[in-house]
Amino acid sequence: MTRHLAAPIAGALLIAASSFALPANAHHSFAMYDPDKLQTVTGTVQDFEWTNPHAVIWIVASGPDGQAVDRWSVELPTSPGNLTRMGWTKHSLKAGDRVAIALNPLRDGRHGGSLKKVTLLDTGQVLTASGTAPVASTGK
Amino acid sequence: MWRRLKAAWLAGLAVSAVVGAAHAQTPERPVLNPAPTAADWTALARLPDWSGVWIPESWQLTTARHPPTWKPEIAKQVDDFKALEKAGHPKGLYVDCLPEGMPSFIIMTLGSTEFLFTPGRVTILNEFDGNRQRRIYTDGRNHPDDPDLTFNGHSIGHWEGDTLVVDTVAILPETYLPIDQAVGIPNDGDTHIVERIHIVGPDHLVDDMTVEAPHVLAAPWKVTRNFTRTRERRSDIVEASCRQGDFVEGKDPQGHAAFLPIEHTAEGAPLALPQTGTKP
Repeated sequence: MTRHLAAPIAGALLIAASSFALPANAHHSFAMYDPDKLQTVTGTVQDFEWTNPHAVIWIVASGPDGQAVDRWSVELPTSPGNLTRMGWTKHSLKAGDRVAIALNPLRDGRHGGSLKKVTLLDTGQVLTASGTAPVASTGK
Repeated sequence: MWRRLKAAWLAGLAVSAVVGAAHAQTPERPVLNPAPTAADWTALARLPDWSGVWIPESWQLTTARHPPTWKPEIAKQVDDFKALEKAGHPKGLYVDCLPEGMPSFIIMTLGSTEFLFTPGRVTILNEFDGNRQRRIYTDGRNHPDDPDLTFNGHSIGHWEGDTLVVDTVAILPETYLPIDQAVGIPNDGDTHIVERIHIVGPDHLVDDMTVEAPHVLAAPWKVTRNFTRTRERRSDIVEASCRQGDFVEGKDPQGHAAFLPIEHTAEGAPLALPQTGTKP
């Protein structure tokens, strides 16, 4: 995880942030992502935020020539608690990992997505954010 | 004559002062929760075994299987919210990280749930956006005559065999009746919920709920949430804050560890980290 930001820049941001009201977003529906579109973004993990209510992968996407082209945020559809039950840990991804992420993109075309599957390109390991313990239903 | 009257007046004044002082010194005695006895603790062992951690089924299954019957004018609003959601502009069922409240506490919760039995009460814990809790009094008390309205309301319960029967009132009218993470209608007040919580099979618990919300529902809403028990330690309830994801970890101007805000879309999707200087 990339935890420590450049202090002077971060300080300026903190001061700037205190001068206007931030919208309180945090827990939200995933309706802003298009479930009918599946897109794969390949790049390098910049940061893996193991946060509630949703963990987030920040990656720098690379073009066909391997050059960095843009940055994407990829939300995992649930919390560290539930991800732990699915086998994830805060160490599942780290800065520098080369990944291919299948995602449902934001409907408005901006570079954000909801994770469907991440493949670690150096190991071939595949991680998904589904498959909790089987849950009973009465069918009622 | 005047002397006698003055003496009587002074005597009356003195009595009033004494009575007044006595009244001031003896306020209404607070109602106490009696200390549990050994028998009270022993009685808990005769209750059904709800230990462990309970994982809820998908809320999509719950609400699809048991849709509420809305009043016609409310059904139109529900359709509008569904259309907004489909267009990618969800109405905020999760509003500013306020507690979701009842019945969402049961119907919409996403993570581990735990039931704690102690004398005179059942406590339900879950991971829903800040480790919400419900307190169900089983000590025989009634609802207060003039309760404060709260997100989860005031709950009293009793046991009918192995079934915990819970009666809940005093829910804030702004609290949603949800059918989706982006589709819900404020209950608008006077909501009454009866739950029958019981085990129906191996490691299988259900909360059979009847929700009366006379201002928005055309009929009581009967809905059941299923839970599956696990004893895996990795399913233990963990801390679950609602807004941590609005920030990343960084440094403040003094060099201390600090949360730094990130940019979001209007709907809440993260868009950009603070300028870290580390972007390639």
